[in-house]
Parts: sequence; C-alpha cells; structure tokens
Amino acid sequence: MATNVDRRKFLTVLGVSGGGAVALSGCSTDRVQKLVPYLVQSEDQVPGVPTWYASTCTECSAGCGVHVKTREGRAIKLEGNPAHPVNRGKLCARGQAGLQGLYNPSRVKGPMLKENGAWKEITWDDAIARLAQEVGKASGRVAVLSTPARGTFSDLLDNWVGAAGGTVTRWEPLDLEPVRMASRLVYDTDAVPGHNFAEAHFILGFGDFLETWNSPTEQQIGYAESHGFNGDAARHVQVGARRDLTGLNADEFLSAAPGTEAAVALAMANVISGGGSGPFASLIGEWTPDAAERASGVSAARITAVAREFAAASPGLAVAGGIAAQGDNALALAVAVAVLNSVAGNVGRTVLPAAAVPTGDGLAGMQRLMAAMDGGQVGLLMVHDANPVYALPKSYGFAEKMAKVPFKVSTGHFLDETAEACDLLLPNHHALERWDDLRARPGVTGLMQPVMEPVFQTRHTGDVLLGVARAIGGGFAQFTAASFEEHLKQAWAGSTGGDAGWRAALAAGGAWDGAPAPSSSAAAAPPPPTPAPAFAPPAAPAEGDFTLVAFPHAFLYDGRGANRPWLLENPDPVTKITWHPWAEISLETARRLDIRRGEIIRLVSDHGSMELPAYPYTGLHDRAIAVPLGFGHTSYGTFAQDAGPTPLDLIGPPGSTPWINYAGTRVQLEKTHGFKDVATTEGNPRQLGRGIAEAMPIEYARRGLTVKESHLAAGAGHHEINTPLEVEAIAGWREEQIEARKLGDYAEVHPAWGMSIDLSRCTGCSACVTACYAENNIPTVGYDDVLRGREMSWMRIERYWEGGEDGEPLEARFVPMLCQHCENAPCEPVCPVYAAYHTVDGLNGQVYNRCVGTRYCGNNCPFKVRYFNWYKYNEKAWPEPLHMQLNPDVTVRARGVMEKCTFCIQRIRGAQHDARLEDRQLVDGEFTTACAQACPSGAIVFGNRRDPASRVSEVSHDPRGYVVLEETNVRPAVTYLAKVLHAPEAGA
Amino acid sequence: MSREIIHNADISTAGADSIMRKYVLLAAGMGLAGIAALAVAGRTSDAQQSGPAVADSIAATVLAAGDTAGLPGLRQPIFFRHDIHAGQYKIECQYCHYSVAVSSEPGIPTLETCMGCHTAVSGTDSASRAEIRLLRTAWSEKKPIEWNRVHFLARHVHFPHANHIKAMGPNACATCHGDVARMPQVYKVNNVNNMGWCISCHIERKVTRDCTACHY
Repeated sequence: MATNVDRRKFLTVLGVSGGGAVALSGCSTDRVQKLVPYLVQSEDQVPGVPTWYASTCTECSAGCGVHVKTREGRAIKLEGNPAHPVNRGKLCARGQAGLQGLYNPSRVKGPMLKENGAWKEITWDDAIARLAQEVGKASGRVAVLSTPARGTFSDLLDNWVGAAGGTVTRWEPLDLEPVRMASRLVYDTDAVPGHNFAEAHFILGFGDFLETWNSPTEQQIGYAESHGFNGDAARHVQVGARRDLTGLNADEFLSAAPGTEAAVALAMANVISGGGSGPFASLIGEWTPDAAERASGVSAARITAVAREFAAASPGLAVAGGIAAQGDNALALAVAVAVLNSVAGNVGRTVLPAAAVPTGDGLAGMQRLMAAMDGGQVGLLMVHDANPVYALPKSYGFAEKMAKVPFKVSTGHFLDETAEACDLLLPNHHALERWDDLRARPGVTGLMQPVMEPVFQTRHTGDVLLGVARAIGGGFAQFTAASFEEHLKQAWAGSTGGDAGWRAALAAGGAWDGAPAPSSSAAAAPPPPTPAPAFAPPAAPAEGDFTLVAFPHAFLYDGRGANRPWLLENPDPVTKITWHPWAEISLETARRLDIRRGEIIRLVSDHGSMELPAYPYTGLHDRAIAVPLGFGHTSYGTFAQDAGPTPLDLIGPPGSTPWINYAGTRVQLEKTHGFKDVATTEGNPRQLGRGIAEAMPIEYARRGLTVKESHLAAGAGHHEINTPLEVEAIAGWREEQIEARKLGDYAEVHPAWGMSIDLSRCTGCSACVTACYAENNIPTVGYDDVLRGREMSWMRIERYWEGGEDGEPLEARFVPMLCQHCENAPCEPVCPVYAAYHTVDGLNGQVYNRCVGTRYCGNNCPFKVRYFNWYKYNEKAWPEPLHMQLNPDVTVRARGVMEKCTFCIQRIRGAQHDARLEDRQLVDGEFTTACAQACPSGAIVFGNRRDPASRVSEVSHDPRGYVVLEETNVRPAVTYLAKVLHAPEAGA
Repeated sequence: MSREIIHNADISTAGADSIMRKYVLLAAGMGLAGIAALAVAGRTSDAQQSGPAVADSIAATVLAAGDTAGLPGLRQPIFFRHDIHAGQYKIECQYCHYSVAVSSEPGIPTLETCMGCHTAVSGTDSASRAEIRLLRTAWSEKKPIEWNRVHFLARHVHFPHANHIKAMGPNACATCHGDVARMPQVYKVNNVNNMGWCISCHIERKVTRDCTACHY
C-alpha cells in the first residue's frame, strides 16, 4: 500500500487490506491481521454500510450527475444521479471509469520540480513559493491553458490570471466549434442546440450521437425513448462515410463519400422546400438530389424518399454530430442540418436553440497561444486539465513552441506528454477528492464534494492559486478566501441562501431549474444565414488516395481514457477490438489490394506515416480509411504506453478552418506484408441460423406478433424446434423436475430472479459491461490473454452481422450476453463438486470455494458465459492503488476458479438482509443489478419473475419475448425482446 | 513477524464449554522470548501474583505482567480487559461494537469512545494505570491502536452480523465469540471458519442452508 494511503485517517475495520482485496486463498488463519479503528467516530461512515455522495462526472463536458458509493472511506463505484436532468440516473462506460482515474497508478503523487532534466519531489510549501516567484518573474506574461468547462474555479482562474497579468486560453480536442458556428449563423446564439430525441418521430443522423458526441448519455436516453419499440418506434436513417455505433443502430444507412454529407443534407432540404425555394433558396437551390448524388454517391431516389419521410414525420430531428462535423466541410454540414431542421419545422420542437453559454476559445484561441509562445511573449505557461502536446497533431508544433516558454507548470493528474514537458508539477485533486462545481449548461450546475481523503499528496488547484495570491499579495489582495472550499461556499451563498440551502444543493448534487430555457429565436423561423457558408464537395481523390477519418474511440475518446484498463479491455462496439488501435478499410479496398484482417498496412500522408493492423469493414466508404483516436501515448502510465500510433500524426498543420480537420487528410496505403494478432473478442460474426439475436419488421411488432409468428408471416417454413422424440423426452423431464421441486427447501415459496433485455432499445454502448466490471471485481487480462480468449467479461455485448452481402443492406444486432441462469442448467449436473448448483430462488449459483477448476461447467454451457481464472489475474489486474476500487461485498477470485454472472447476488442478498432487519418484504424495483442500473437505454429489467406484478414479469410477457437457444430446453431466466426493424415504407 | 497464537491453553475459564478445543501453537522460541521481554518492558515491575487467574462474573481479578504471559489469545498492544469492561462493569457489547445491529461489520470502538470514560477513569492499580497511560498517549499522539485481529472470516464468506443479532437478540455474541465477559484477554473459542459449525446452528434453527446465502 502506498505510504500516503497508510496515513489516511479513514483506516478502519475493513481497511485491513483493502476490503475485498484479499483473494480467495484467505482461508488460512495463521497470519495476524490488524484491526485499526478510527480515532474519532466519523459521522457519515458505518463500517460495512455504503455511504453515498452526490457529485458530478468530469470525464467529458456533458456534466452528468453521479452518485458515488463509498465503503470505509473509499469510493468503490460511480452510478448516475437519478434526479439529475442530464443523465437521469444513468452513466456511460467512460463516466464509470472515472474511478480508475482516481486510483490510477500513473497519477502524480505529489508536487515535483524538474532539475537537470530529472523529476525531484518537493514540498507543497516550496512548490507554491516557487510558483509565486515564477509568476513575479513572468511579470504580466502569464498564459494559462485550461478547458472550456465553466464553474466557480474557472471564474477564480480568470481573476487570478487577471491579477497576474496574462491570458486564459480555453480549449479542448474534438471541440464542437463548427456546430456552434452554425448556431451563430442560423440561430444567432453561440451554443450547441438542445436535441429532444425522445419526441422525434424520425431521426436523421449525420454522425455519431450515441458514443462520444456532445452529451452521449442524455442523447441515448432520449434515443431509446423514441427509437425503442413501445407500440411504435421512430425510424432512424444515418448518413456518413463510416458506419459507427450510431450508424449500426440506424434502420437505414446511406453511405456518403467522406466530406460530402453536407450535400445530402442540402439536397434533402431542397426536396422538402419544394425544389429549393423559400428563404434558404440561395443556399439549397443548386443542391438537387441529382447534384448531391454526383457529389456523395448516395442515390437521388433515396435522398428524395428519406427527405419526404423526414418532413412527414413531424417532428423529426436531424443531427450533425460526430466526426462528420469535425472534418472537411464541417461548417457546411452543420449549417445544412440546421437548415434541414428549419425547413422541416423541427426548430422549437425537437431542436431547441439554447441560450448562449460561455464556451472555449476554439482552435483560434489555441493558435493565438501558440503564436504568443513562439514569439517569446509567454513567460510562464500553466496547463490545467489539458494535454495539448498529445492531443494536437504533431504538425502543429505545440511541443516546440512550448519549449520556448521559460517556465511551464502542469496541474494535471497524470505525468502525461504535456506534464512531461513542464518544469513544475502541481497535481490537482481528482474530481472525487475536491470541492468544485461545473456549469453543465444554462440552468444546470453540478456540485462536486470530496468523497474521500485524497489518495496522494495532491492539492486543489484553487488552493494553490489562493496560496500563491497570499504569497505575492499586492494585486492579489482581492483573494481573501482561506481555501477554495470557503470560496466555493461564498460563491454559492447567493443562490442557496444559508447553510440549509447549501446542504440541500450538496445532497442533490447541484442546482437546476427544470428544462433548459430555449432562446428567444427558438419559435421563430430562423433567418437565412449570412454569409452562407461555402460548400465545395471535396475533389475526388487521386487513384490510390484515401481520406483519413480519425474518429474518437468509443471509450478512450480523445485519449484521456487510455490509461484505464476497464476502457481498454471493453471491446470497441463496432469492431470488438481491445487494447490496440486499428485501421478500418472498406471490403472493396481489402479485396482490391488483397488485405486481410490483421495485416499491417502503412498509412502515409504528407505529414507522417504509421503502421496499423487492417480491419476490413463493410460499413466504411471505399474512399475512406478510419483510425481511432486515443492511442499513441508516449507518457500516460503503463496501461497507455506502447499501445500503437495515433492518427493525429498524419494530420497536417492548421488550414483555413478554425477546427482541427479530423476527417479530410489525404493518405496513401502501402502493404507491409506483416501481421499483428487482432485482439478481438468476436467469435463468429454471423448467427448461422441460431436465432440468438431475433428481429422482426415493425408492422409485425405493431400487430403484436410473436417471434415465431413473425417468421411464419415473413414466409419462413414451419419449423419445429424439437423432434417428436425430443418433445416426449422434454415432457418427461418436466414432470420429473416438477416432482423435484417438491423436495426440501425447494418446496417453499421463494422468488425466481429473472431478467428481460429489450433489443429494440439496446444500442450496444457497453455501459453495462463496465458497470459489471466495477461491481463484481472482474479483472482485466490484457492484450495477450484477450488473444487467447481469456477475457473475464461476465457481461459482454455480442454483435452479429446480418446481410451486407450480395447488395443486401448490412444490419447489426447487439445482444448483451450474460449467464442465463437456466432453470435446467447444463452446467450444474456436470460439476463433480457441486460448485455449480441451482439455488432455491432460481439462480445458477457458483460457489468459488468449492470450485476445483475442472471447467466441465464451462464446457457444457451453450452460451459461453462462464469464465475461468487461468492465471493470477487477481494479483496483477489491480496494481496499487487501483485495488482500492474493489467492492468488498464480492469475493476476488483466485487462479483456478470458474466464475460468471451472479445476477449481482451481493445486491440481492444485501436487499434481503435489509428487508429482514426492517421486518418487511422486498419491494419490486428497490434494487437492481449493476448492468440494469447503468443501462442508459433502459433495455434491462431485473426482478422477481414469480411475482406477476413485477416489471420483469410484465416485460417478459411481451409478444416479442424469446429465449436464446430454445431448442436446448435449458429454460433461461433471461428473456430477450426481439429487435424491431424499421425498413423504408413500401413504395418509398 | 512471528507471534505466538495460543488457543485456550491451560486455563479453567468458567465460561469455557465443551466445544473448546485445546491446542497450543507456539511460534519460534525467539519470537516468544521477544514477546515476553516486551511484555515485561511494557509494564511496571510490580508483578506479584504468579500464574493466570480465573475471572469471575462479579469482579475481575487483578492481573499483572507476570500473569499475562500464560493467558490464551493474541497479545494486544494494550492489555484491554473484556472481563473488566463487559464482566465487572457490565458494559453492553454494543456500547463499543456500535454497528453490530445495523451492519455486516460489528465495528471497533474509536479511540474517542475509549477516551469518553478514560479521560476520567485512570485505573485502580499500577498495572491498569500503565495500560490506560498507553491509551492516553495514543490519543494525544493521534495514533490509532493497531489491534491484533482474533476473529476473522475467510474473504469468500459473508457474515451479516446485524441479521444474526436481529434473529438471536442483542446478547447473542457469546454464541460465536464465547463468554468474552470472562476473558482477561480475548481468544478464539470457536473456529468461525469451520463451516460445519455454522451449518449445525442453521439446521437447528431451520434457517437457510443455501450456499449463496454466505458465499458470493
């Protein structure tokens, strides 16, 4: 245990060795353990009982509210705050992995000074004195680089830099600058408009809005409301060069050449406004469907038909998200989509132009900073919450310009590329260790409070600023607060009014005033934008040229998640690749150049080259090569190191556009004839008639047909699941089983735990996977063992391809697969030591301490949901202090033990214990599994199937309900609800 | 570090019943000698009595350094006497083990709880005064006392104390922990990691014997 951890005053009974951190081998009693009590009784900690704190997620700029579960003074899990207007109790994989930022072994453990090129630990007093000295030396030439996130801290920073003399630049990668610029032009407001996905009857996407763009959890919640089947469902058509996760959820995908999405949007607006008349005539007049087809390759007939459907849906919703709004013609696309929403009458209904919010300075601000550094006008650079050395393309030359600054300071949590280039490190507290707030959007401010003592000797940057102010005095005399905590409370005193109000806001997780206020121009039809942004379709690439699409990784995003093993091991939803980057090429390109999966290809641009394993992908346009951002760190801790290159190295210096052109660089492809093993968790990507992921057309779903009736109605032949002999055998078995249920404890009335999963809502986002890892102490195994198929994900998302051949459209089906807790489980009778057995309450129990590791159960499981500990993953998956995240309620499994989904039995037993203490019955919905809790789509429902009034009973009886591999007669406790396919309307 | 672990050595404690098994595990002699030396050094030299005494239910016997070496159980950093606190003064178990009725964990008293009384109570004889001085020093130095753990359950077993207190009453502690009120130094009476011992009680009381009631 790290030395400073030992000193923490929160040590307590279970603090002996990290709660559940001791592995199964802890039977032995010949070791003397210590019991270390608190000195003073903590008011809000009872050993063995979790304490929850409300806080705000800082993993992206969406500002979701979180509830932090702590045990014995340690944060062990993050869940959504149900009362928060942004994420309504849900949390994505990246948000949940915030915990691995807190406990990351690569965190800077205390203040450090670089002397002769080597880092030296110093004291905080010395560090603050040194910073004060350097601020004086810089004499008005202080530059601070920070994020666009706004709150009380950013106000303090502004004032502090004002007193020091200098500027604050606010910038982050993948900034939504083009969308905001379009808002300025079309809605006259400087903010990304609000999108009401839940009310939309037709969703037209021009880029990802489910993975990383803008506010993904909030958008997914709304998307599941409208696109999930509930009597009817919205249709979703996606336009783009790369079929990302959002594209795979679409009912129809129109593949446009990279950079030409705007032409499609303009042509659709042209169709809706009757041939391009009306206020936008100058913009859309020339973009007939035929012109758009010539530019983009999307057929004019489909453009016309989809446009008509979109207009008729009323309201529909068109979204310019994702990487299409970050590349060539991004501004033209954002404006075109705004116009499209306008002519279709969606503005004020599903598109809510928001009041302007102070945002970042965009790339223009960053360029000003770089010019100032280059020109020697910066005496002191302080980087707060940013990693520009990594996140800007190398061709921008940030590192070289930064080197010209005499003294550089970083307040980052990690020794990342930028911190490495600094002279002084003043590590800030993690968001879970500090007082702070975040203005997520107008009317919504989230609060953060320390949920535990700091893991390391870090210090709140607010306190550092105040300390420097005290040391310098003079112009800094205005900063009178003794600490940032006090400063924050003063700042809130006006709105919360006294201690009670402050406590209420803290408990709620912040303050918000209902729905965001739409700006005044919301209801009115927007005026035509002036000047109309020029849209020039990119020139057709030369022979052998491709367009690079550098898209944000679904979990690593811009690279900030790259040191979190949960995110690295969570398979990319599209390719199912873990732990390393890849280069997607189209099937046609792969065929033409004879490139196989895993073959290393070299990508060469005018600015650099790199080698990556190829992933031939049906969903990619022939002209594009897609590479995920997020890898390629040279300094970000052991998990991030040596993972492979980042496509940023191929992107050229800033052009005319005030945003980084993530999609538009010309690259050539060269074969190397080398191979890399692709660490994918995918088995067979096709269902091969096994009926794992069922789907039915929406007209059958509307009529209430079952899956079998739907197959018959679609013209499939009558198919008996079992032969007559099998049916007879099953009937005999059933009788025997009913007799067996009359024996012993089984005769009593117990709950029968079960689950339902609605595939029409599931988007494959994998939030449930991370929730399961967090709740159940599941170890990550790393690249080598994923290759051997030894990942331990109790909950996994299977992705099956349908069609995609012989001109059929490609369709993806996502199936969350976990232990099915079969009534007639094949794993149970084969266990020679009764480690796998059926509990009286319908669970397929797995007793770790009985298990001797024969693996017969795993061999006999038709779902492949049992996972074996081949190695001592428990000893290497959580390098200190990562082990502090472990859930003390769940045994950490050692080598040689089989494990699998338990339906979160610790939650079941915990709720039962609580109910017994209070002399009452369990109430349906008072607890749920970690996966169901996290699912932003609300696809997973858990409960007691024996209670006819429970939600899971109700949902499981939906006509769309089916069980996987029904012919095996294993009788799963998990009911899936078939996906609903919303094909273009007949004749359209 | 090697330490002696002594389970129920030759001591005829009144509360000891038939389940107690007699066995002595001694660590290396060096360790034992070291501990004994520590024990002498840590206490004043006014040891008068020889051999461990039997605690009765009314007044706990005065024990001094020479007496304690033979006591069963783990030597603790402070010679805290359950027989005085729980036996002689009849302080409820839950006064100190504060979370036993609400949590899976029984709770170890904070130093603040100890000082609640020992700010005023200084002990009646030199031996106890010496121990209380150790406590006060720890409090003034803000150093928590690192007790040696006597009972601990293997990590793959989950034992909710609160539910057992709820089912068996607030004074059910002795069922598993023995008659602590008569122990000058707490020792393990029952092997709580012996599952048969758990199960025999569960059978007797006709409550769940499901594996996943405790193992998950």
